[in-house]
Amino acid sequence: MSQVEKKAGLLRRTSSSKKPLKEKVVLMYDEIFAKEDPAKNNPRFWDELFLMKVNLEYLESKLESVNGEEVQRIQDNINSLFHHCVQALGEEHQIKVVNALQTLCALFRGVHQKNKSASGFDIINMLMGFDKAERRMKDLMERLDSLLCGDSSESLKSLCLKLLLCLVTVTDNISQNTILEYVMINSIFEAILQILSDPSSRGQHGYDAVVLLALLVNYRKYESVNPYIVKLSIVDDEPTLDGMGVVLHQALTEYNRQYKDKEEENQGGFFSTLTSMVGSMFIADVDEKLSVQTNEAILLALYEAVHLNRNFITVLAQSHPEIDIPVTPSTPTPTTPTTPLGTTPPSLDVMNNPELPLDPNLQTSNLLITFLKYASIVMQDTKDEHRLNSARLCLIILTCIAEDQYADAFLHDDNINFRVSLHRMPMRHRKKAAGKNIPSRPLVCAVLDLMVEFIVTHMMKDFPMDLYLRCVQIIHKLLCYQKKCRIRLHYTWRELWSALINLLKFLLSNETTLLAKHNIFHLALLVVNLFNMFITYGDTFLPTSNSYDELYYEIVRMHQVFDNLYCMVLRVSTNTGQWKEAASKVTHALVNIRAIINHFNPKIESYAAVNHISQLSEEQVLEVVRSNYDTLTLKLQDGLDQFERYSEQPKEAAFFKELVRSISLNVRKNVSLNTLSQDVLLKEFSTIS
Amino acid sequence: MTLNFEHYFSMTACINHFIAVIFNRLYECDEDELLTNLHLLPPLLPVIDPEVALKACQEVLLKVKLLDNKQQQDDQKHADTTDCCGPPWHMNPDTSSIREEEEENDDEGQRETPAAQKHTPPAASSESPSPSSSKQSWLLRLFESKLFDVSMAISYLYKSKEPGVQAYIGNRLFSFPDGEVDFYLPQLLNMYVHMDTEVGDAIKPYLVHRCRSSITFSLLSAWLLGAYSSDMHISTQRHSRGTKLRKLILSDDLKPRSDEPSSGDVFVSPSRRTHQRSKSDATMASGFPGAGLRRTGSNPKVEAVHEEVRGRHVRTGFCCDESPERLRPQREFVKSLFCIGKRLATLPTKEQKTQRLISELSLLNHKLPARVWLPTAEHQHHVCRVPHTQAVVLNSKDKAPYIIYVEVLECNSFETSPVPTRIPETRIRSARSAENLDCGTPGNGSSMTSEHRAGSFSTVPNYDNDDDAWATDDIGQLQVEGEAQTSSSDNISQFSVDSITSLESKEPVFIAAGDIRRRLSENLAQTPTTFRRDPEDPSAVALKEPWEEKVRRIREGSPYGHLPNWRLLSVIVKCGDDLRQELLAYQFLKQLQSIWQQERVPLWIKPYKILVMSSDSGMIEPVLNAVSLHQVRKQSQLSLLDYFLQEHGSFTTEAFLTAQRNFVQSCAGYSLICYLLQVKDRHNGNILLDSEGHIIHIDFGFILSSSPRNLGFETSAFKLTSEFVDVMGGLDGDMFIYYKMLMLQGLIAARKHMEKVLQIVEIMQQGSHLPCFHGSSTIRGLKERFHMSLTEEQLQLLVEQLVDGSMRSITTKLYDSFQYVTNGIM
Repeated sequence: MSQVEKKAGLLRRTSSSKKPLKEKVVLMYDEIFAKEDPAKNNPRFWDELFLMKVNLEYLESKLESVNGEEVQRIQDNINSLFHHCVQALGEEHQIKVVNALQTLCALFRGVHQKNKSASGFDIINMLMGFDKAERRMKDLMERLDSLLCGDSSESLKSLCLKLLLCLVTVTDNISQNTILEYVMINSIFEAILQILSDPSSRGQHGYDAVVLLALLVNYRKYESVNPYIVKLSIVDDEPTLDGMGVVLHQALTEYNRQYKDKEEENQGGFFSTLTSMVGSMFIADVDEKLSVQTNEAILLALYEAVHLNRNFITVLAQSHPEIDIPVTPSTPTPTTPTTPLGTTPPSLDVMNNPELPLDPNLQTSNLLITFLKYASIVMQDTKDEHRLNSARLCLIILTCIAEDQYADAFLHDDNINFRVSLHRMPMRHRKKAAGKNIPSRPLVCAVLDLMVEFIVTHMMKDFPMDLYLRCVQIIHKLLCYQKKCRIRLHYTWRELWSALINLLKFLLSNETTLLAKHNIFHLALLVVNLFNMFITYGDTFLPTSNSYDELYYEIVRMHQVFDNLYCMVLRVSTNTGQWKEAASKVTHALVNIRAIINHFNPKIESYAAVNHISQLSEEQVLEVVRSNYDTLTLKLQDGLDQFERYSEQPKEAAFFKELVRSISLNVRKNVSLNTLSQDVLLKEFSTIS
Repeated sequence: MTLNFEHYFSMTACINHFIAVIFNRLYECDEDELLTNLHLLPPLLPVIDPEVALKACQEVLLKVKLLDNKQQQDDQKHADTTDCCGPPWHMNPDTSSIREEEEENDDEGQRETPAAQKHTPPAASSESPSPSSSKQSWLLRLFESKLFDVSMAISYLYKSKEPGVQAYIGNRLFSFPDGEVDFYLPQLLNMYVHMDTEVGDAIKPYLVHRCRSSITFSLLSAWLLGAYSSDMHISTQRHSRGTKLRKLILSDDLKPRSDEPSSGDVFVSPSRRTHQRSKSDATMASGFPGAGLRRTGSNPKVEAVHEEVRGRHVRTGFCCDESPERLRPQREFVKSLFCIGKRLATLPTKEQKTQRLISELSLLNHKLPARVWLPTAEHQHHVCRVPHTQAVVLNSKDKAPYIIYVEVLECNSFETSPVPTRIPETRIRSARSAENLDCGTPGNGSSMTSEHRAGSFSTVPNYDNDDDAWATDDIGQLQVEGEAQTSSSDNISQFSVDSITSLESKEPVFIAAGDIRRRLSENLAQTPTTFRRDPEDPSAVALKEPWEEKVRRIREGSPYGHLPNWRLLSVIVKCGDDLRQELLAYQFLKQLQSIWQQERVPLWIKPYKILVMSSDSGMIEPVLNAVSLHQVRKQSQLSLLDYFLQEHGSFTTEAFLTAQRNFVQSCAGYSLICYLLQVKDRHNGNILLDSEGHIIHIDFGFILSSSPRNLGFETSAFKLTSEFVDVMGGLDGDMFIYYKMLMLQGLIAARKHMEKVLQIVEIMQQGSHLPCFHGSSTIRGLKERFHMSLTEEQLQLLVEQLVDGSMRSITTKLYDSFQYVTNGIM
């Protein structure tokens, strides 16, 4: 009782206090930063401390302002503060728990900010003391684990996750965060999974949990055995995996929705074309930028799930009716008080909805579709560093998907048809796609569309070679699957062919500028080999006999490009230089295409001459092609249907390191904003107690 | 004159007394009728020695007595403890009449319970067969005879006004095999609902007894009771007997009596597993299997109740042999299927419906396996998975019937066998993942080396090989097959065999472009004729796929596929349709089918099972390997004959001839059915063609007295278009003559057993407001169509007339074009 009174009095005083008056908590902080043991004079010091509202700014600035020598002196007190924080987490009094959590946050952050250059060991020593560090961290992790798994209040759980996020992102480079070693030993993986598997907690904390998991997985990924990687790779509990899928799906859906709103806003404007172009650049700068960054974390989580966990692939195809409810992932929603009966609070979760919403306009969707839409947005503009990274990550995820048998199976499943409306960049030379009348097709068509779209729209001076390589490889992997399983996809291959030919054309015309930075021969080789796939194995996966004729027609029609390419590679391969070998590979790969051109061109010319036609129609050319197959001999090339499987290490390691760093920075920024605005939460608890 | 069956039957009971009478009767009969009835007498005719016959009869009676006694013991046991559930059946006031009569012949006098009393008289009377010619006694002998079957029992139950007889038959029901009585369940229940209390009271003990012993029976009864009660006025309905019994069943007070340990096992065994699963949101808040289904059940009331139950459940610690959950899983399962149907109906396009269906079913999958089953199936099983991507919405204008395929695991008894453990969807991947994309099983032609490729030009690559490789779910099998690829693990980059071999064989391999092109067109031509995917008709493709093919495909993709007791079933869920007429038609067809079988007339019909679940919902057993004539025509753009030629081969091939014979036999069967039952609305969407050439009529929405929109179309007896005749080989062909002959034989056979057929319809008319019973002359009309009075020659003429009339009928053609205009059905 007395405590409550005291508290109430305190609150009143703080609210009316003026500058000169110092809060009691500040005075107490000061005591900690004095030499003396604060409990010496006041045995109830620690008890009282955690009843006070935390003043994060003050505590943090105090920690920062301590200089080297002072650290030595106050280390005992800080150790003691840390120790008591951990102990307070076990208190029944929720106010104490909340304050302890926040104090810990401030401690981690303050100490790190102060000692940016210091080694991790110094920091551990300063916070906990070397000798006790192991036990303290064990206690801390166990307490957090039981808070997260127990039936404590939702805002408390949320705060626990914030603390963990804060701890994980406290250094720029996650692998240098030595404290995480203890988080590795005392795993909270199970707690994270439990949050994801439960529909109600997933709705509120799913986002944080997923981000935390993604970050933890990236701790010393390549140097040591990370238990989170091991554990994530063997999860096979469907509800948990589904839960993770739902969280990712919601986050991506939310982004897509925001983008669409923005887009519509812009298009509704006065100078529709102009503004939309300016606008789309503008979006990237102002509001969107932030959400792109936050979504990198989600994308990373998706990647880790797809890459590490084979079982997660099924979740991709798990369909939900599209949820159009705005989700606010990073801000904790004020918890709805749970009813005494323990009925679950209303949540945005589909699984939890007893009745799915009855909107006839709702399109059924799944994580993969949402992801494809997201990718189509992100890939539109790759100038910005973050967007470039996102686009790259999207393509990496697609690579993983394209390599997976099960994923391929449902991508090509004739029964699973969807309309996927991808976003297309408005361009001068083409109209904005009608959008409405996309047919419902197997999902692989959408993937191919996305790849074609990318190829067509990114032929620019600042050539994203890496993305192009990935893109072409994804197509290749899909073709390999189709060839192997004899799936005759009804796809307008012509679009792909002409996109690829245009790409070759672009490479040729920008040879000199591109060669300065990239090995264009590798890309050219991949493209030519895609054609070789069609030429040699077309019988196994083309949908109609006509499509094979059309392939020849397209090659013959664009023979100029192939001729030029051949001249170029021949020239480079005969000269000595760094590209000699790469170029000569392309010359070999071109042999069949050249054979086709050399075989049919004269035939077509003579046909025109005989029939006195100057301009042959497509039908006529096709006729010539059809009647002259038998005299054409092709050379069988090896390894056309082979590809190198994706592996993260060593090729991608640098990329992921950088990506994780950028995500860490971003998460840290957002977490700090949120932990400061916990007034609501404090009020909630003060009324309860 | 008509032959009186009763006399034949009583004859077997006491031949020595009546053999003379019978022979007299026989002489009086028409020769025709006698011949047609001969099959009933095989045990009789050779019997000259009356003593032997008597012995045989006594044996039979003894057996019946034994059975009855046993039954009676059971009943007694029940009777002792039934107090809680409704009026105790042995207090039947109506038994008095039969008792009085029995007492006359009775020298033993006292009996302990009235129940026992009713069973003993047969024995007593057979010991002292009095030559009394009283009707009652004759009847009793008939009832005791071994030829007294369920059909007769039902008929007497319906016709007899004497409470004693009704009560006796009520008891006799216990002695019939369950399966045989089950066929007449709709009749029994309809009588229970709509006839006077005496009949109801006579049947009730039997119903209660069966409900106690079987969940399936309980649910079927409850559903049918609900459906048949719906025709009553709302005020009377609430207090009606049917509603009360339904409530009693659904309250699940009718549990098996005995507290055998086995009944405990029923629910205890799976509990450990579900406990573990209870973390999941699928079974969240449910401690037991299937109950999780409530999530899609979308009924807040159920939720509330359920929470309560759960509370209790947790406290009792899964010791739930007394939980009211016996029926719940199945009811929830069915309910969620119907909820899906209702929600689908609100979506505008077929495509959206199908997508929605798939996603809803995928959610349903989370709650399986559970103690649920498909009542249409023959064997006991548990549903373990719904391959949701296979489900399709069927063609219907404003409702959304849909077909689902259901994977089940067969078991001894779905009530007591433990529910199979859930295998995650992804489990199958562990097997598949060993197989690498670019490294197929050796020899399947997928990763052909250059030599392979070059060598295999002449041979067309085989589909099956590829599929087999794809099918290796079984890890063991994979290891055997895949020895060559054991080294290849997932992350090793797979610049495989090809590159190596290419180093060895420096010689370049040449291929002809023409060959590639040729193979492409050959492969395309070789693909078995499938239908084109049409967003407006999503079911065509799914139904065209041969069943075996589909089973194989789904089995490969299922995590449960490797289990030996795995089966695939399918069912059509109809929501918003009254299937009671369909059920009637099913019974009608089934009865005729068995009659024709018995009479060895090779008419072919395919009654498909119907489950009535309420007056506006139900399930239908799909006809396998069949597509509608409409779909055939639309997809193939061929005439029916040409389609036959395409599917089965040219005129002289065995396959074509078999298909043609099947076609004729089924045509004859259905022509008769259509005539007798006055099936209307015969457009090509309602006639299926199966892969063996049979036609199958579906949709018996307009039968007997009802016809669509009363437009007066379709005046012909049945549908016989010139296309049909073409398939039969034209008007002068042998097959057409065979067709007419079959019809004649079928009609003669049906006429002989008219009573059996008529009775089904007649009982169901009781209290029914179904459109097929509209008007007063339904039964009379039906009876007339059997033409009992005609001679065979006259019948033959009749058949000729019917065929002639139907063929000439312009209205059939008109009706088809009418359907085309209004519904787009070709």
